[in-house]
Amino acid sequence: MSQTQSATAQGCDFLQGNPPKNSFYPEQFLGDESLMIQAAEQFSRQEVLPMSWRLDEHEEGLMKHLVSKAGELGFCGIDTPEAYGGLGLPKNLAARILELLSLNASFSVTIGITSGIGQLGLILFGTEAQKLARLPHLASGEKIAAYALSEPNSGSDALSLTTKAEANGGDYILNGTKMWISNAQWADTFLVMAKVDGDKVTAFLVDRSCPGVSISREEHKMGLKGSSTARLVLENAVVPAENVLHEVGLGHHVAFNALNLGRFKLSSMSLGPARDAIGLASSYSQERKQFGRAISEFGLIQKKFASMATLFFAAESMVYRTGAMIDQAFQRYSGSVEDNMRAAEEYAVECSMIKVFSTEVESMIIDDALQCFGGYGFTEEFPIARHYRDARVSRIYEGTNEINRIFLVDRIRKRILLNRATPPKKDGSFVSELAELCWPLLKDGQIEKGAMADLLILMYGVQSCWSRGNALGSHALELAKSFENYANIRALEAYQLVTGEPIQIPKPHNVDQQNLAELVHEAHGPWHG
Amino acid sequence: MINILVPIKRVPDPYIKVKPLPDGSGLDVANVKHEINPFDEIALEAAIRLREQGVELAITVVSIGPDEAEEQLRKGLAMGADSAILVQKQGGMDSLGVAKEIAEIAKSTGAKLVIMGKQATDDDCNQASQMLAALLGWGYCSCASQISLSGSHIEVRRETDSGEQRVSLELPAIVTADLRLAEPRYIALPGIIKARSKPLEKRVPVHNDQVQYRVLSVESVPSRKAGKMVQSVPELVAELKSLGAVS
Repeated sequence: MSQTQSATAQGCDFLQGNPPKNSFYPEQFLGDESLMIQAAEQFSRQEVLPMSWRLDEHEEGLMKHLVSKAGELGFCGIDTPEAYGGLGLPKNLAARILELLSLNASFSVTIGITSGIGQLGLILFGTEAQKLARLPHLASGEKIAAYALSEPNSGSDALSLTTKAEANGGDYILNGTKMWISNAQWADTFLVMAKVDGDKVTAFLVDRSCPGVSISREEHKMGLKGSSTARLVLENAVVPAENVLHEVGLGHHVAFNALNLGRFKLSSMSLGPARDAIGLASSYSQERKQFGRAISEFGLIQKKFASMATLFFAAESMVYRTGAMIDQAFQRYSGSVEDNMRAAEEYAVECSMIKVFSTEVESMIIDDALQCFGGYGFTEEFPIARHYRDARVSRIYEGTNEINRIFLVDRIRKRILLNRATPPKKDGSFVSELAELCWPLLKDGQIEKGAMADLLILMYGVQSCWSRGNALGSHALELAKSFENYANIRALEAYQLVTGEPIQIPKPHNVDQQNLAELVHEAHGPWHG
Repeated sequence: MINILVPIKRVPDPYIKVKPLPDGSGLDVANVKHEINPFDEIALEAAIRLREQGVELAITVVSIGPDEAEEQLRKGLAMGADSAILVQKQGGMDSLGVAKEIAEIAKSTGAKLVIMGKQATDDDCNQASQMLAALLGWGYCSCASQISLSGSHIEVRRETDSGEQRVSLELPAIVTADLRLAEPRYIALPGIIKARSKPLEKRVPVHNDQVQYRVLSVESVPSRKAGKMVQSVPELVAELKSLGAVS
């Protein structure tokens, strides 16, 4: 019996050894939901992708113009509650829409932040007045939001931040520098973490118009050149006390819960460029002829498409399975700030897993796609090189993939102690068997924890693929088999890292690589049921 | 209030390559994405713009086709149509059959104006609108590149080979849309949500006529043979002569 669909479903259910038979898969977006998804794709392809070069050159006013145009169509307030000018759509559907808005990564990060972690803190923790004052302008795209946690010397160790806030009458005076702030150049509202009385981490809504707020020069980045990344400098910035979000000393709740959901959103955003790369490589390899044949007819190119299709299928299956569960959690708990926090935290482990997996898959897919272009892929003549540069940061921000691996294993341990999770049990897959065997042997070393995280991610992936494959049959089953073959090999490596022991890998499923490649060419992108 | 009818046809995405079925009886469109016929979408956009210019209009989109055509009607409602009618019909219907169904709907909805694409991109017949005009006995103008309503007339501009023609038609009338009539808008998410509460009525065809033509076979266009490079005009003429293209 499926646990995830029952009323008592909770985070980490995937560990329980009875894989879900009816978890959500993206083909279940139906009717006008698919119309919304198509609308996002059309906007991306017709309005954003043709602007890629001009965006990278920071053409004056262009990005703001695109954001406001997207806002007019509803794309900046997809899951903002209706009461504050948004559409209040379920988070899973919102994520799918965001995936299709994300074909260009610079636009993706801009709209992803102003509609995502730029608003999430406010939505989850804001007072009525704070929400009413800001959310409608953000949802409409006329204003842009940013999230400011990192500092020059405080990155992964986020709570070591040193920005200070001192009470002064009805105001707080903020001093410090926030680094890597996406949207800095355009943002009207920043969610800033600072310490009150030396150690009380507190979230502030800092408006750009506050005295003492300035933005430094743009970072010179490897990719995402069309996005804005700069420092937010606070020099005796005067912020009214009513702009404290949630409570003094509880800013970490705001920061981390926004990040939990932010990771979910980033997972779907990472699929956008990967989707586009598969489509680009598919068209190119069917047109490019060598030795008198289209290169798509060659075995090693077919192998690449089979692999891209498989990895995309797995990531997609995991992301939207998770999103549906997050929506259920919000239905169960949503209301008070405490409820919101519970809902945002419930699937934190899953959010970290899909963030790691999707962003790594994004890079692998784009790398394979670029290879199909041969020498041309290494030039800026084709858009694939941009995807390659843009994708690199996905594994770094929103918590590095290393931090996310450690975090998710630690979080499971904590949940087990609190009786909110069980140690991993085998669910029929080889990967889950290895996860069960490894868990009790796990020590505190980062390397072993990282390997354990990989086992759990693969276990979640294999479950998600089979669940979708069994529901849809034929091609989806073929992709599920193909992913299990891949996962078993990766799992073997992780098992050896944890135990130092050899283990026999099961016989691989028979998978027709050429057929999987054909599916991609027929769909002009990743396979979809 | 003027009632406008915009027939929209569900067609395979015109930008996707389709293959003939192995038995040559038609095209393999089973797993192909479908869209509103682009010319019909232009017609709908033009109708919505008439309303935005301040004319009081009620726009009804109608489609004759399988249940899946509800997708295209929902899109039409999301763009801005007020109501939708689906005439449920599996399998083919020829242009005359289509014209007869639309004529019935035009009468029952009290429409004063029908705006539709000049042709559909799947079969490119370009005849349903003319047949509809004959059945209803209404004024007719094809290939509009600009329209406006003034009182009981619709003013139409159409591009011809010799210049721009201006036509004034008294309502009720039928106008077909050419490519440059209007560029369809993006559908907005709030529009899609609003469309949920707009009426979509399902009907069965009024007529049950047999299709009056038979498809003999559908085949791919044979791929073009490789060309030949020539070095000079005399060589070109000689080649053309040897092919019998010039004498």
